[in-house]
Amino acid sequence: MAGNHSRNGWIVWLTFAIGLLLSVSPLPQFMEVLRPLWLALLLAFWALALPHKVGMVTAWCLGLTEDVLYGTLLGQNALILALITFLVLSLQQRLRTFPMWQQSLVILVIFGLAQLAQLWLSALTGNRQPTLALVLPALVSALLWPWVSYGLRGLRRRFKIN
Amino acid sequence: MGVRFLVLVVLSVALMVVDARFTLLKPVRSQMSLVLMQTYWITDLPQRLFQGVASQFGSRTELAAENEKLKTENLLLQGRMQKLAALTEQNVRLRELLNSSALVNEKVEVAELIGMDPNPFTHRIIINKGERDGVVLGQPVLDARGLMGQVVELMPYTSRVLLLTDTTHSIPVQVNRNGLRAIASGTGNPERLELRHVADTADIKEGDLLVSSGLGQRFPAGYPVATVKEVIHDSGQPFAIVRAVPTAALNRSRYLLLVFSDSRTPEERANDAAQAQEAEQKGEAPPIVPATVPKPVTSVPATAAPAAATAVAPAPAAAEHKVVKKPAPAAAKPPAAAPATTRERQ
Repeated sequence: MAGNHSRNGWIVWLTFAIGLLLSVSPLPQFMEVLRPLWLALLLAFWALALPHKVGMVTAWCLGLTEDVLYGTLLGQNALILALITFLVLSLQQRLRTFPMWQQSLVILVIFGLAQLAQLWLSALTGNRQPTLALVLPALVSALLWPWVSYGLRGLRRRFKIN
Repeated sequence: MGVRFLVLVVLSVALMVVDARFTLLKPVRSQMSLVLMQTYWITDLPQRLFQGVASQFGSRTELAAENEKLKTENLLLQGRMQKLAALTEQNVRLRELLNSSALVNEKVEVAELIGMDPNPFTHRIIINKGERDGVVLGQPVLDARGLMGQVVELMPYTSRVLLLTDTTHSIPVQVNRNGLRAIASGTGNPERLELRHVADTADIKEGDLLVSSGLGQRFPAGYPVATVKEVIHDSGQPFAIVRAVPTAALNRSRYLLLVFSDSRTPEERANDAAQAQEAEQKGEAPPIVPATVPKPVTSVPATAAPAAATAVAPAPAAAEHKVVKKPAPAAAKPPAAAPATTRERQ
């Protein structure tokens, strides 16, 4: 969570707010199955960049807000986002040295796992999706990762967030 | 780090179980939604702005044309309404003859759609009326053409509506033509409902209108739900496959109607109706004992002798029924009867 001595921490929260907006913004019907996991992408980046500030507790709190927005059981998305952050943080040392395409691949695997966990959780609550199309958002997110990553890195340099 | 993750996992699972089983977390959720639901409002803002701008810059000819169209439509609808008034009156009279419970007029209120559920596998929408506006859980939602769904989650100023076509939703319906009952289930396709367990020999065919039957005690009876699109008789299947298209524009309507039907039980409703009627009759002819002059008989045309004869038979029963149902409170608390009257005769 944000420490008092940190600089420009509010920008991180601003990106999360924008991520929340993006995750509920209306999309054309055919694109809804492709909606990227915006919050997970942002969390992955900030957890890699500022591990002392953005961690699993942040992810969990954001997940709770997402639960309220989506009307799912409180704790469902919180668990998923905490899982994603945990995996990213545990691979952090390696991920930092990887080239971008390799990072994308790791992101694909992590998000795919998270989406499968999501499927399992929603099956428990009786809303089982009929197809495996829910892995598509992981794919789209992995493709978006380089752009998100470069964009946020630029933002971070510019505002000297640390 | 692993320990922290484990703690969070346990916490999440505990939260999920508590949220699924108990109502303990409902206040927390509604407080959080108070702030968070603004995001739907914000994401809806561009469209709202666009509409505002479009209405600002609409040309005069366009507006005149629209006005013309609306006037024509209004005329047509009012013409239909005239007939409806007569039919309603007739229906009430016939129901009185049959001594069955009176039809109740439902009150409706307009709500606006502010968001769609981001999950593409569920059909849920978010509307701008919530608990503080008097919306209740399970309340039916209509659009101009038919039933859309029901309220499944209440928040202070917004609520979530489950549409008819969601895979977890089913609604008891009735074929308008012959009263055949069935259950229409959602398929996850916004343009299709399926009727479950319809016998192969059942009298149902393409183009039939399905209306809500009111049997589930959730949806009011008589609202259009869907039209039958195809009936497939497959000899390999135990039941006919019946597919229907919802009459409501589930993925296009922006303005919806919330139906407020009264929560009284049928008995209470009958009681209230009887009291209301008595109060009315008292108002008409105060000195005479009201029960001796059954209203239905007077309204039956005198020329239809056999009809009148048959009508007289049940009428005394109705009258007796009313006498029994006339306790002291009818006179003692007119304020209670008065609102009931307005509700019935709206």
